[in-house]
Amino acid sequence: MDLLDQILPLVKKPARYTGGEWNAVRKDWEKTELKTVFAFPDVYEVGMSHLGLQILYNIVNCRTDALMERVFAPWPDMADMMRENGLPLFALESHRPVKDFDIAAFTLQYEMSFTNILYMLSLAGIPLRAEQRNEDDPLVIAGGPCAFNPEPAADFIDIFVIGEGEEVINELLDVVLACKRNKLEKKEILLKAAGVPGIYVPSLYNVFYGEDGSFLKIMPVCEEVPGRVTKRVVKDFDGTPFPVKPVVPSTEAVHDRMMIEVLRGCTRGCRFCQAGIIYRPVREKKPKTVLRQSAELVKNTGFDEISLTSLSTSDYSPVLDVIRSIANEHAGRGVNVSLPSLRADHFSVELAKEVQHVRRSSLTFAPEAGTQRLRDVINKGVTEEDLMDAANAAFKEGWKAVKLYFMIGLPTETENDVDGIVQLARSVLALGRKNGVPRGRLKVTVSVASFVPKAHTVFQWEPQELLGSLRKKQDDLSSKTRDKNLTLNYHDANLSFIEAVFARGDRRLGTVLVKAFELGCRFDGWSEYFNIEKWLEAFRLAGIDPDTYAYRRYNYDDPLPWDHIDAGVSKQYLILEHKRAMESIVTPDCRSGNCPGCGLCPALEIEPFYAGSDLNAQV
Amino acid sequence: MYAKEGPAKYISHLDLLRAFERAARRAGLPIAFTQGFNPHPKLSFAAPLAVGTAGEAEFADIEMTGNTSAEVVAKSLSEVMPEGLRLIEIRIVPESAPALMAMVERAAYTARAVIESPPEKEALEKAIAKFLAEPEILVERRSKTGEKRKYDIKPGIFAMSARINNDIIELEAQLKTGSSGNIRCEELIGAFIENSGLQVTGNFVLRRRALFSAGKTQQEMLW
Repeated sequence: MDLLDQILPLVKKPARYTGGEWNAVRKDWEKTELKTVFAFPDVYEVGMSHLGLQILYNIVNCRTDALMERVFAPWPDMADMMRENGLPLFALESHRPVKDFDIAAFTLQYEMSFTNILYMLSLAGIPLRAEQRNEDDPLVIAGGPCAFNPEPAADFIDIFVIGEGEEVINELLDVVLACKRNKLEKKEILLKAAGVPGIYVPSLYNVFYGEDGSFLKIMPVCEEVPGRVTKRVVKDFDGTPFPVKPVVPSTEAVHDRMMIEVLRGCTRGCRFCQAGIIYRPVREKKPKTVLRQSAELVKNTGFDEISLTSLSTSDYSPVLDVIRSIANEHAGRGVNVSLPSLRADHFSVELAKEVQHVRRSSLTFAPEAGTQRLRDVINKGVTEEDLMDAANAAFKEGWKAVKLYFMIGLPTETENDVDGIVQLARSVLALGRKNGVPRGRLKVTVSVASFVPKAHTVFQWEPQELLGSLRKKQDDLSSKTRDKNLTLNYHDANLSFIEAVFARGDRRLGTVLVKAFELGCRFDGWSEYFNIEKWLEAFRLAGIDPDTYAYRRYNYDDPLPWDHIDAGVSKQYLILEHKRAMESIVTPDCRSGNCPGCGLCPALEIEPFYAGSDLNAQV
Repeated sequence: MYAKEGPAKYISHLDLLRAFERAARRAGLPIAFTQGFNPHPKLSFAAPLAVGTAGEAEFADIEMTGNTSAEVVAKSLSEVMPEGLRLIEIRIVPESAPALMAMVERAAYTARAVIESPPEKEALEKAIAKFLAEPEILVERRSKTGEKRKYDIKPGIFAMSARINNDIIELEAQLKTGSSGNIRCEELIGAFIENSGLQVTGNFVLRRRALFSAGKTQQEMLW
């Protein structure tokens, strides 16, 4: 009797673990030289919504000499069953143990998924720390946004990939393949990999701390290893391989639809935003490429919805024409277009009108801060007038629910700014009433996150606001937003605190992660599993004070634990921007033609690329 | 008519609807949608299959907007079905045909498990005879409000037999299926194992072999 058939009927959503989905690629194990597995440190429905997985899966499986399978973090009920039955973590395509692969490639999307990497390694029977692993264990590699401050995860990862993976993944696989053919040891593979641009091998660097425990510097162990690792950027974004035959999940994913990436990067320059830095420069896909890829996606997947994804899709130059064109072409087959998020302005409402699907639900705007002063500090180029204009248009067009995203704890924030959130929400509510939205159906939802300072951003030197103070602001907001048409959501401030520790953490936090995992921490991004007591206990056991990480204010000339990772934006620019922030001076969008001078284009020998607003533009 | 096996047997009923809709769209078939705010494809199944139970001959109706031949549908659809969902036969039925759900009356199952100290053939037959001779066979069900209540499944057991093959016990049964009086195969197995005192290792692996309608004189395959 097949062991999986014994286990799967007893767990929740067993289709998470079967594989066999449409477009899944199952290659001949014996005939393929290099075996890799994409490891997503969250549950199937989350991982299958991730475009990066599909991009790399497509690229690697297009090679004749390599294969890539998939594995996700099993939900705790499945993990218990696997341990009970001695079943190690296996990949979905071949059902082979993860330990049998040459490379296990994790994506680091979010700091709070770090414990799930340990959880998956442990279920796979792979020693947690890189130094404990031997020649038989897979190479554990990792990429994604959190690789831009890799140090907290450095103890567990053999190789980090910094920046966009489309090109470097092939270069890395070539190196590993060549080493494998020459039967080189892991030590030599790592040294060779470190020579590939964009590759960071943490075991080839020593970290130095001062007597007071502060971080001093990080230095390569030998000359062949670069002192700084510069991120990889795809120059020809339009021509880079795009997965037009993505795996179609057999059980509903969080984003259960076609995804077409229409642009990469964002020009807006919000000062808290890490994605805005690490995905620079902005590169748009040509409209004809988007239309061609959409048609292929529809044919190859059968989904009923196509989402134009990016950090800011309403900024995509030809967005209006592209939406109309896709909608016209595929509406007959019951395919809708959707947009992931909208800017708070009138144009966005125009866009939303074109997109039938959004119409059914609510419209979401992200003013981020409650007053113009604070919006200028964070360089969020949205005015109150923009927002009111957008909300007004939305209610006029028939939407009855509006969601507003804000942050609290932003640098320089005062009580006045927090009150501004309440006032904005109430103004939007009043607009809804003025536009005659029925009282029973009018809904304004205010979501409030706590600011987390992130590496490589303008606010990387700033401390997080104290927990108690964040809680007080949350309480204030709750008491001031009591209205039956107004809903307030806020994130657990404890979670934001741990996130802040890791977002600016150093290599010493590896011990904390091991302790936290041993205490049972996993799925920390899920509120039902996040347990602050266990985390604080883990810090105590590791002898590390989390406050020194979350609440530290760095000086401009202090060495930072992520200084050896080069995101392409100069530190002088970040300092300049930080000073402008403190004076509430806004910096124009680089799309406007006024180059703010971040230094990335000359440093990486690249330029922004705009597709032009005309559908047939021959750019 | 299709089979739902291998990885596909773990696809839930709701996800199966989506799987068929997507396959039909990939095949370029003109499926009909319901009108209204949230249109969904006009797809109906004979009887939902429990997650984890394989189906060898399952039935679904898909409504089309245009005239298409069975051959075209069979060819285009069979090329785009995910692993484990296998088309067996396509027939064009008139709009006036009765709903599959209204036709189904019973289902044939097999259930296999590893058995500890397998009994002799005779002892096994006796155990089944004793089980079926009980005045009532009560299983526990939960009402919509979560209350437990006893339910007699005996009137819905049409046939039952068993055999031993090395250390595997294989049960066969025909059970009432449909909108009223439906019996799940797991319920029968649970009650039988309890009644007979047989010891199995692990769980039973279930397959639904066929679906029947109540014919004029005897049960018939749905088609």
